[in-house]
Amino acid sequence: MNVFVESSDVLPLVDVEIALAVGSLQDPAGREGLAQLTGHLMRRGPRGLSHQRFEHRLASLGARISVQVSMRSTRVRATVLRRNLEPVLELLASLVWRPALRVTDFAKLKRQAQAALTARLDDDQTLGALGFRQALFGEHPYGRTLSGHADSLSRIGIQQVESFYSRNIAKSSFLVGVAGDVSEAEASALIASHLPNPKRRKQKDPVVPATRVRSGRHVIIVDKPERTQTQLFIGTLGARTRDRNLFPLIVSNTAFGGTFSGRLMQEVRAVRGWSYGAYSRLLHAKQRDAWYMSTAPAAEYSADCAALQLDLLERWVDRGIKKAELSFAQRYLINSHCFDRDTPSKRLEARLDVELLGIPRNYVEKYDQLVARVSRQEANDATRARISTRDLTIVVVATASQVVGAFERLPGVKSLQIVPFDRA
Amino acid sequence: MAAQAPPFMGAPEVLIERLNRGVRKRNARWTFVRDHAFGDALTLRRFRLGNGLTVLTLVDRSAPTVSYHTWFRVGSRHERPGKTGLAHLFEHLMFNETRNHPPGEFDRLMEGAGAEANAATWTDWTYYYENAPRDALPLLIELEGDRMANLVLRVPQVSSEKEVVANERKLRVDDDVEGKALELLYDNAFRRHPYRWPTIGWMDDIRGFTVQDCREFYRTHYAPSNATIVIAGDFDESKALSLVQKHYGGLPGTRRAERPKPSKEPPQRAERVFRLDAPTPTEKLLLGYRAPSFSNPDTAALVVANEVLFGGQSSRLHRLFCLDKEIALSVRGSISPFVDPGLFEMWIFLREGKKKADALALLDREITRLGSEGPRVVELEKAINQLELSFLHSMETAGGKAEQIGFYETVANDGAAVFERLASFREVTANDLKRAVRKYLRPSRRTRVEILRKAS
Repeated sequence: MNVFVESSDVLPLVDVEIALAVGSLQDPAGREGLAQLTGHLMRRGPRGLSHQRFEHRLASLGARISVQVSMRSTRVRATVLRRNLEPVLELLASLVWRPALRVTDFAKLKRQAQAALTARLDDDQTLGALGFRQALFGEHPYGRTLSGHADSLSRIGIQQVESFYSRNIAKSSFLVGVAGDVSEAEASALIASHLPNPKRRKQKDPVVPATRVRSGRHVIIVDKPERTQTQLFIGTLGARTRDRNLFPLIVSNTAFGGTFSGRLMQEVRAVRGWSYGAYSRLLHAKQRDAWYMSTAPAAEYSADCAALQLDLLERWVDRGIKKAELSFAQRYLINSHCFDRDTPSKRLEARLDVELLGIPRNYVEKYDQLVARVSRQEANDATRARISTRDLTIVVVATASQVVGAFERLPGVKSLQIVPFDRA
Repeated sequence: MAAQAPPFMGAPEVLIERLNRGVRKRNARWTFVRDHAFGDALTLRRFRLGNGLTVLTLVDRSAPTVSYHTWFRVGSRHERPGKTGLAHLFEHLMFNETRNHPPGEFDRLMEGAGAEANAATWTDWTYYYENAPRDALPLLIELEGDRMANLVLRVPQVSSEKEVVANERKLRVDDDVEGKALELLYDNAFRRHPYRWPTIGWMDDIRGFTVQDCREFYRTHYAPSNATIVIAGDFDESKALSLVQKHYGGLPGTRRAERPKPSKEPPQRAERVFRLDAPTPTEKLLLGYRAPSFSNPDTAALVVANEVLFGGQSSRLHRLFCLDKEIALSVRGSISPFVDPGLFEMWIFLREGKKKADALALLDREITRLGSEGPRVVELEKAINQLELSFLHSMETAGGKAEQIGFYETVANDGAAVFERLASFREVTANDLKRAVRKYLRPSRRTRVEILRKAS
C-alpha cells in the first residue's frame, strides 16, 4: 500500500488523512450540497456505535476528526495524541468504510445544515464571496456552493446520501497519509492492518465544462440593511491549473495585490485608509477559476474605492508590472514558501494534493525555480492574456439605497442588479 | 544552574561571558536568568539586557523558520476615557516610518525576505511578530530594534491610519453582530475597570486622536524595560543575542511605563440584562459571568469546566442544545485570559423560532447540575485529553511556540509557565470543578445580552 508519511518527533501528535477524489462537482444538479451532507453524515460515526458514544470515545482518546469536502475531494482527517494512534485509526477506518448513515442522524443533520444556511446571513464577507462566485460562474458547477441552498437541501433524502456513498466512496480508490510522531515503517504497518486494500475502482474525474465569462461589467448589490461598511469583490476568470501562464500570473498577481506592499494595498489602505484589507487572489482549477480583488470600504466611499480599483486593474493589465515589482514578488514567493511546509501536516497536504488533484509534481518540487524563471515580459503577457478589464463581475454587500447611484455610474457598467441578502 | 543543553546549544553562562567581553555600557550587558526544559528536545532560556529588555529563546530545528515576537505590557487597560483605542491605533502606526526607514520600507523589507509581519492588541498587551525564513533573523532584529526607539510620527500617517482603524471598527463591531454584542457586554459587566471599553476604542475617540497623543503614548510605553522578546525556531542563539545586543543595547533603560493601578471592580450582586436589536436572521444569547484572573488558581478548574460544557461535539451543552433539543445551531464558551479578573463568556446561537427563555432555563439547569454533581471521571479525562491536544496544536510551529511563551510571560509573568499549564489542568479534581462552578457561574454574577431580530 502506498502510504504517504511525514515524520517528526518534536511533538507527540499525529495526523492521519484518508483522501478520496470525490467532491461537490459530483453533486447532481438540483441536489447541491449532497457531497458535503454525505461527508458530514459519515462523520456521525460508524455502525455499532451511536453518535453520542462515538463522539465520547473520540474525545476520550484525545482525538478530533473532521470531514472536509471541496469541489474535487473529500478528506477525512484525524488529529490524535500519539499514544492513542492505533484505536483512533481503527475508528477512522470504520467511519469511512462502515459508516452508520442513520436516518435519525440524517434528519438532525439536515435541519442543522438548513439552520447553518440561515446563520450564514450574519456574515457579510461570506455573503460577498459566495455572491461573487455565483455571479461569475452562473450555472457552471464552479458556481455551486458546497453546502447547497435551502431548495437543494430539501430535495436530498437519506436514499440519495446512501447512493452517493455507495457510488463514490465505498468502493473507490483512496489515498492515505500520516504526519507527525510516527516512523514510516510503523505508519505503513498500522495502515496495512487497519485499512482495506486500496486497489479499488479509480474514481472517474467528473467532466467539467470550460468556464465562460459574461461580457461586460456587471454589478450585483447584495442588499442588507444598516450597513455602515461594504464588502466589495471585483473579478473575472483566472487560470487553469495546467495553464502555461499560471506561474507568470502568480508572480504578477503577487506584485499587484498579493502582499501588503503590493500596489492594491498601498493605494487603497496606506495612501487613502479606505479599507482595512485590500488583496487580490488568483485561484486555479481544472478549468479557469476566479481572479478577484476584495476590499471592505465604508459605504460613503465604496464606489470611489471600486473606481480606484478598476483604474489600478487597468493600469496593471495595460502597462504591466515593473522590474523592481517582479523581483520583489519573486523574492517574497520564494522566501515565504518555507511556510507551506513548516509542519509535517502541511508537507503531507502538498503531497496528497499532487496525487489527488492532479497538481503537477514539479509545482511542488520545483516551485522556487518556476517562480524564479518568470521574466517580466512573461508576467505581463500572462496578465494581459488572462485578466480581462472589460468583462468583470462586481459584487458589493451594502445597503443598496446608500450606494446604488454611485455604482451605476462606474465606468463601463452594463447591468446592475439588487438582490436581497436573504435571497442572494 | 542551567539544565543540560541540547548538543547545538552552548552553556548560557559561557555564552554570556563571551558576549559581554569588552562591553562597557551597562545597558548592553547580558545577564542569564534561568532555563526551563520542555521535553527532551527543547529548552527555553531567559536572558536580560542591562536596560531591562527580557529575551526568551527556544531553539527548535524542526523547520527552517524562525519567529520573532516583541510583547509590550501595554494594552487598552492603560488608556483613559476619551482616549480609548490609542494602544490599538499605535500598533498600526508602528508599521510606518522610522528615522532610518521611510514609510512602507518596513513591510517591503519584511515581505521581500519572505517574512509575515503583523501585530495584535488586547486589554493587557500589544505584540508584534514576524514569522520568517531562518536567514532573515538579522533583518528582523534590526527592524524591530529600530522601531522600538526611532519611530517617526507625523500628521499624514496618523490621519490615514485613523481612517483605517475607523474602517476596522466598522468591520469588526458596527456591522458585526457578535462584535457589537461583545462591546455591549463588557461595557456593562464592568463599571470601573478599564476592561469596560473596547480595545479598538469608541469611534469618537478614534476620530479625535492627535499626533501629540501618539508621541506621548510612545514615550510612555515603548521602552526595553516594558518589553519581552521571544525568539523561537531554527536560529543560532549566540548570533541572535549578539545582534539583539547590538540593536537594543544602546537604548536607555530609564523610560518606564506609568502604571496607575486600575480601579477595582466592585462585586456584582444581581444579574444585568441588556437587549440588542440587530438585522440578524437568528436570535442569540451572550452571557458574561465574572471570572477570576488568568493567574488565579481557580482558572484551571474553570477551563476544565468550559471543556466539559462546551468542548467539542460530546460536550454537555453541545449535545443538549444542538443535538438532543435542537434549540441552537452552536454554543461556545471561553474565559477571558486577562491579568485582572475578566469574564467567562458563553454564546448560544439559537435556531429560528426557538425561545431564548427556554435556552436560558436549560443552561441554568445544566450549570447547576455540574455545580452540584460535578463531572464524571470520564468527562474529566476527556477534557484533559482535549486540552492536551489543543496545547500541542498551539505549539506546532515556531510562531505558535513564540506566541504562547510571549503571552504567558506578559500575562502570567513567566513564559515557562506555558509548559506547566497542562499539569495544572491534570491536577483539577471533580471537587475543584464543582466548587469553581458554584462560586463563579451564578446568575447574580452575570451580565446578559439578548440579541433580537430587528423587524425589517
